[in-house]
Amino acid sequence: MSYSKTMPPVLVADQLSKRYGSRLAVDGVSFEVASGEILGLLGPNGSGKTTILRMLTGYLRPSSGTAQVAGFDVAQEGLEARRHIGYVPEDIPLYTHMRVDEFLAFMGHLKGLAGGPLHDRIAAVCKRLELSQVQRTAIGKLSRGYRQRVAIAQALLNNPPLLILDEPTNGLDPRQIIEIRELIRTLATTQTILVTSHILSEMEKVAHRVAILLNGRLRGVHVLGGSETASYLRLTIRGQPSARVQACILAVAGVVSVSQEETHGEVTAYLVQVQHLHVAEPLTAALVAHGFGVLEIRAARLDLETLFLQLTRTEVPV
Amino acid sequence: MSSVRPLLGKEATALFSSPIAYAVIAVFLLLLGYTFTAFLFLNKTATLVHIFFQAAVLFLLIVPVLTMRQFAEERKSGTLELLLTAPVREIDIVLAKFLACMAVNTLMLALSLTYALVLHAYGQPDWGPIYSGYLGLVLFTAALVALGLTVSALTANQVVAATVSLGMFLVLWMIDTLGSLLPYPFDNMVTGISLLAHFTPFATGAMYLSDVGFFLSVIMLGLFLSVRALARR
Repeated sequence: MSYSKTMPPVLVADQLSKRYGSRLAVDGVSFEVASGEILGLLGPNGSGKTTILRMLTGYLRPSSGTAQVAGFDVAQEGLEARRHIGYVPEDIPLYTHMRVDEFLAFMGHLKGLAGGPLHDRIAAVCKRLELSQVQRTAIGKLSRGYRQRVAIAQALLNNPPLLILDEPTNGLDPRQIIEIRELIRTLATTQTILVTSHILSEMEKVAHRVAILLNGRLRGVHVLGGSETASYLRLTIRGQPSARVQACILAVAGVVSVSQEETHGEVTAYLVQVQHLHVAEPLTAALVAHGFGVLEIRAARLDLETLFLQLTRTEVPV
Repeated sequence: MSSVRPLLGKEATALFSSPIAYAVIAVFLLLLGYTFTAFLFLNKTATLVHIFFQAAVLFLLIVPVLTMRQFAEERKSGTLELLLTAPVREIDIVLAKFLACMAVNTLMLALSLTYALVLHAYGQPDWGPIYSGYLGLVLFTAALVALGLTVSALTANQVVAATVSLGMFLVLWMIDTLGSLLPYPFDNMVTGISLLAHFTPFATGAMYLSDVGFFLSVIMLGLFLSVRALARR
């Protein structure tokens, strides 16, 4: 299944909010996940990612707002909505006393499978997730990587259109992380995937789009590899951070915004959003004319990290 | 309802694969056997009335041990999230846990039927009170399990679940003694919720529909509150 913006949404969240007493854990979050897409929910710990997933999967009731999965309201038609979701919670909660095949059979029954079709599905997911060798092993004896595979296997049993993964690479070693990342990419050929992480590089490697969360609010949705990555310049100027430098940059026609990035000794870097990359020429000329030492100017690919820092600059995670 | 069967299978496996069920059954039969033997040799009467009362008191202590882990452990280990995000109704989850606990209780009661068979072999017991006593015990333990599940559904801590359940059971068992100190109509109201007051007629061979209705109401209330506790999230 390939992702296209024109595909109908499998998941629609509209103004989802969750309040715990006086604390607003999720504040009016709205987004859509199109069929065949991998959407990443990115945010620091405590930003509300898991709470959003729990509302989407019916584990938590939204305080306000709605969400639909495959056209079914998760609150009003919860049972039907949950039939269309495969969910892998954070920390891989599994019945460790069960064998892998027992656990998959149990979860399959809960998802409405039985008899031959259930056995076929168990065999298929075990093959797909390379679990066949450990099918008769107690889950408690498996490594964390295998447990994560078992958790994903149970989510895939009824072949749901939407797969929701909460921090799937948490606690895995580098080799297991690569394996799970590859697995997610493979799964995206047949499933729509909503995945959370607090690790920027993880998102960049698997997601088509990334929704950035902070303090329960959606700060923006970023298309990875999209066209909006081109209109930034990274400027390196000799001297301490200066309001004069920023004023000079902003005075140049075609400059949209400027933000100071980092300072190393006597060198300061700025990220400049411009209407077009050709603005680099008059910008350099203006800075030199004002006596600022321009050490470097280059087109900046607005990577996820930069975007995340930009979006979250004014807020401190709580 | 189709989900109850696999859920019940899972619960029964969990109960019987842990040492809890076996320890509980062994202690129950040991204590009950001691009382049965001692009473039979001392009084030489073919009755199980005292066994029924002792069994009821033992169930007050045993049921919290069975129910404490049902939801509290699932909540703590995170597996409750797995169940509640599967296409399963809360009532199915509650019913499965209720039936699994009742399977253990019923097994204990079934094993204690040995005493009735001993009386039958060596004497001529009146079977009426024995039937009513066992029916009373089944209803009584079912009411305790339903209430214990409610408490377990409200907390992630097994010790808290067991302690609160035990306290509640003891209060409901003994509350009729408080009733005698209160003026009318409060005395009747308090006695009306006493487990002992409603269990005594069963144990002594007098069955009243009102007592059956009381226990069925408590069971329904406990199951309803357990579902509500699960849905409160």
